[in-house]
Amino acid sequence: MKSAFFKNVLALANLFMLLLVSIGGAAAQDPVTLTWWTTSGRDSPEPAIRNVIAAFEAEHPNIKVDVSIMAEGAYNDLMSTAIAAGEGVPDLAWYWSNNWLPQALDLTDRLDNDPDISRDIFHTEYFNNWVVWNDMVIALPYDIGANFVMYNKDVFDDEGVAYPTQDWTPQDYIEIAKALRNEDKRRWGGDRPRGPFRALWRNMGATNPYSDDSTTVEGYINGPESVAAYTWLWDLVDSGATPTPADLEVLGTEGTGPVDLFIAGRLGMATLNPGSMVSTLEAGVNFGVVPEPRVPGNENWVHGWALRAGIWKNSEHPDEAWEFLKFWNGPPGQRILMEQGLGHFPPIPSLLAEYEYADTEWYQGFLNVLDATQTASWRKDHPCWRGAVIRGVRDAWDLIMLGEIERDEVQATLDAMVEPGQAALDECVPRLGG
Amino acid sequence: MRIDPARLNASEQLRRSTRQRRAKMLVWHAIIYAVMISLACVFMLPIFWMASTSLKLPRELMAWPPEWIPSNPQWGNYAEAFGKYPLARYMLNSAILVIANIVGALLSAPVIAYGFARFNFPFKNVLFILMLSMMMVPGHIKLIPLYVLYLRLDLIDTYWPLILPAYFGSPFFIFLMTQFMRTIPRELDDAARIDGAGPWSILYRIIIPLCRPALTVVVVFTFLWTWNDFLEPIIFLRDYDSFPISVGLAFFQGRYSIEWHLFMGATLVSIIPILVVYFFAQRHLIGGLAAIGIKG
Repeated sequence: MKSAFFKNVLALANLFMLLLVSIGGAAAQDPVTLTWWTTSGRDSPEPAIRNVIAAFEAEHPNIKVDVSIMAEGAYNDLMSTAIAAGEGVPDLAWYWSNNWLPQALDLTDRLDNDPDISRDIFHTEYFNNWVVWNDMVIALPYDIGANFVMYNKDVFDDEGVAYPTQDWTPQDYIEIAKALRNEDKRRWGGDRPRGPFRALWRNMGATNPYSDDSTTVEGYINGPESVAAYTWLWDLVDSGATPTPADLEVLGTEGTGPVDLFIAGRLGMATLNPGSMVSTLEAGVNFGVVPEPRVPGNENWVHGWALRAGIWKNSEHPDEAWEFLKFWNGPPGQRILMEQGLGHFPPIPSLLAEYEYADTEWYQGFLNVLDATQTASWRKDHPCWRGAVIRGVRDAWDLIMLGEIERDEVQATLDAMVEPGQAALDECVPRLGG
Repeated sequence: MRIDPARLNASEQLRRSTRQRRAKMLVWHAIIYAVMISLACVFMLPIFWMASTSLKLPRELMAWPPEWIPSNPQWGNYAEAFGKYPLARYMLNSAILVIANIVGALLSAPVIAYGFARFNFPFKNVLFILMLSMMMVPGHIKLIPLYVLYLRLDLIDTYWPLILPAYFGSPFFIFLMTQFMRTIPRELDDAARIDGAGPWSILYRIIIPLCRPALTVVVVFTFLWTWNDFLEPIIFLRDYDSFPISVGLAFFQGRYSIEWHLFMGATLVSIIPILVVYFFAQRHLIGGLAAIGIKG
């Protein structure tokens, strides 16, 4: 009787244990749901985003991705709010603002120890300048971009002007812009640069606005190369071959460059970006791509950028998030996005070679531009340039752009910028670092 | 019977002066109408340009000379815009939010205002000033606390964060209704009370029917604000299909460019409900605002 009782108890206990194990097993197999915030627009169509996710989920049945697709203009406010709140941040998100980077998970070990992906597959310049922060890999690069000069071949043919070449100079730019200018057609030859010490300034030898150790402005902002670059700007403005800041304010396109003016044939040359190539292509305009002009002997620079997708440092599912991130930013996801969204340019050179228009002259011109040294290589270690100094020396730029000073006043104007520039630098370095 | 020539002359003069006055009035009216029509045309220019842009090809957008009426109108732009993003769904979502907010505003603002306008209770003035002070707090400041609040209530990605506040009264509408109610003679309340009416009965049978101009302002403003609200939907909504039209339009702005021709077409369609509401409500709206301004 007693032994029968014990047998029954043991059987029940076994059953209970089995039940527990099976429940535990079932729980282990429950799919993990990742939250993922991304944006959609002309550059990343919503169906392509969903197709990447479907392809990932098919490969990883235990991971589901709950994607929120939002407009470009909406993303910053949402992400800033969530990060400021300290909760409600998704497992995966774009970390395109530097202010968000401390919230991103350090991916260095995962990337270096994962056999499925390597940093070598990515474009070196874009990888090093955009996803490495404080010696940590804090994201993976996504869509890459760069500024280059697009020229409207129909406008050039119309005015009988030869196309610019890969090794053209800043002086060539002014001469061509003047030759393309046509008052009757309300046409300008080319646009104006958007700020000092970007690629064009560096191509003219004006490399840095202050010393590399972030201590001195004197001799940099007002050094001979800088004066030459600002004088070049003065000559360009004086030529009348470019739209005024007011023209660009009215006719430009929301900070993305005057692509609509360019497409309409009212601007012979414009410093634009990869998205503009697609817009221009779709509008049926015959165009070419060259790098920003350079004074011979100087290094070739480009103002480039990459979007970066990262994992929130407080994510409850960092392993699963990493699986998705390397799929999305790696060749499988990037190929789908590139094939289904013409405006998507992956940071993976081997994939860039597969682009639909890879054989065209303009696309080859674009690829050439990507090989130049990026302005970000200096900027990312010198946050005070954008954080403070640029505001301190903005007057010199504005005075020239508005035609308020004479050519021989450029040196004196830049000399006058040394004091506010130095003050801005001194105030900023303790705050943001050198 | 003999008519006095002097009187005849006076009557003729009167007729002539009336004719002259009428002619002057006619000219004056013609001038006023001409000015008003010209002004209306100036104000309509952006809408017209929007319509014109919505029918162009991308390369025609900035062409010189500009074409006010496109020679080859691209009606397909509208179909493309509505096919590219679920704009019809977004407009329906906006309509749902508008109706829910209007109901909330109409339920809450008059009741709260009635309390401030007709009753005395401890700390009434302090509470009224506190309520008014909320009008001066910029909405952005409240975003992070609200985000955390709704997150913890598990209401993110639902319409509740966009609807619930309306049911607790907007300070602006409470202030507006309070001022309006204060202009309604208390004798009406007394008369109703003698007839046996209680506070609720007085509110719904006496006060609210007399508040029609102010209530019209509440309805129209709630409509406009909810239809155009962009910031709160982007913070509280996640689902691609749940966005209102204000957010849906933002999809036309890509990372590098704006599809102006599609954007203008979609925007033009999206403002039609606003124009219709304003057209029908303008008389009440202007009358309501004027009444509040004069009496309040």
